[in-house]
Amino acid sequence: MAFSENKNLVLTENFRQNGFMNWLTRDQIHYLILKTHSLTGLVPVGAFLVLHLFINSLRTVGVWQYQLSIDLINNLPFLIWIEIGFIYLPLLFHSVVGFYIYKTGTRNVAIYRYPRNGLYTLQRISGAFVFVFLLYHLGTTVVPKLFNGKEHFEAAPYLIGIMNTEFESWFVRLFYLMGIAAASFHFSNGLWGFCMSWGIIVGRTAQRNASVLFILFGFVLMFMGFATVAEFSLNPIDVRPTIPGSM
Amino acid sequence: MNARKSVRLTVKRQSAPAAEPYWESFDIPWKPRANIISCLQDIQCRPVTAEGKDVNPIAWDCNCLEEVCGSCTMVINGKVRQACTALIDQLELPIYLEPMTKFPTQRDLQVDRSRIFENLKKVKAWVPIDGSHDQGEGPVISDQTRAQRYVLSECMSCGCCLEACPQFSLDNKFMGAATFSQVRLFNLHPTGAMHTEERLEAVMGEGGITDCGNAQVCVEVCPKNIPLTESIADIGRQTTLQTIKNIFQK
Repeated sequence: MAFSENKNLVLTENFRQNGFMNWLTRDQIHYLILKTHSLTGLVPVGAFLVLHLFINSLRTVGVWQYQLSIDLINNLPFLIWIEIGFIYLPLLFHSVVGFYIYKTGTRNVAIYRYPRNGLYTLQRISGAFVFVFLLYHLGTTVVPKLFNGKEHFEAAPYLIGIMNTEFESWFVRLFYLMGIAAASFHFSNGLWGFCMSWGIIVGRTAQRNASVLFILFGFVLMFMGFATVAEFSLNPIDVRPTIPGSM
Repeated sequence: MNARKSVRLTVKRQSAPAAEPYWESFDIPWKPRANIISCLQDIQCRPVTAEGKDVNPIAWDCNCLEEVCGSCTMVINGKVRQACTALIDQLELPIYLEPMTKFPTQRDLQVDRSRIFENLKKVKAWVPIDGSHDQGEGPVISDQTRAQRYVLSECMSCGCCLEACPQFSLDNKFMGAATFSQVRLFNLHPTGAMHTEERLEAVMGEGGITDCGNAQVCVEVCPKNIPLTESIADIGRQTTLQTIKNIFQK
């Protein structure tokens, strides 16, 4: 029986079945992908969301503070590789696995009406919504920026110009508010899910305390995003080039 | 609790595993303190539908009649629970009875729950004590661990947590809360802990612990109030540590 089996024997058997090159079994790959999905939601994707909302909320301090911080980012070395490695690829991975997870479940909150089951459903819906929102968000900012080759000191004024025009429309304002709300919810609720699936919180009291903490955190994130949208919409200021004559 | 003249039960019936399900209603006289099982027994005495048609008696599973064996688990008025503790006077009328939807139906209200047993075998949900030599006395357990294990040991494999789980379905491999909770139970036992790694490896794959979506319906519907979500989080922790060990130590 399996009891008396030597671990080395099991390993040898494993290699015999899968070969040396194929050193991870299908099950191990499945496990690692899902555990990584949970982790990428926190770092780098979630961490980026916090940074992004925080830096953008500099707009509420002043247009120059805001513009200079974006100038700083756009003058970072290896920027496109940082973006690909720490934002686009993890985001794509998290989205693809997310839609796979969406497919594996059958939502039943209509029958079993418990708060956590509602959040389970909302987590999936918000994730799908954020994905659609990001297609729009990237399509109207990063894609034209890269397409028109705007970089270094040209990038920030170009992007801010786009955002100024965007926030003139009520539809876009509303869409951004919904996107920010969905992303804040998805991240703060996902943080709780990460703490559960990685076993950081275990007991029921710990679970409850963590949810309270993450709800507060989610509202802080949402507030930062909403404040930025409000500042753009209620206090429009025409963009000026960082280096005169460079626009 | 007003005395009612009759109680109507609408039952989802199915004559064989591959047969098409259909609904039939039965009117039975109201009796004090009746539960679903006693009503099914009344129907068995006189299997005549509300329309007066003679039919085959309803097939169902039951055994202990005190919510300890879990065999009479079925979907009552849309929610999964044990039929023996479902008292007629506390239910909304008419009463709808269905077999559990996440297990293959055998006949009427009987389902095949062998998947639960198969999963328990996969995770070696037992304490191995067999051997060719005397293994001596078992180790002492602290009272705290004893209390923790007692609650987990109350699981009767009824399937409520699996039926209500949005991640558990007829055609996937998900093991579900009951299995993870048993992994925790036997890893908490000093002798059982010798097989910790094998148990964890068994839940670190497709259908394993990572497939849990944390909807936490399992803990809400568990008739034994087993802290299933604590077990899930704890197995999450154990597998995380095992992964770190696998990466950095092996």
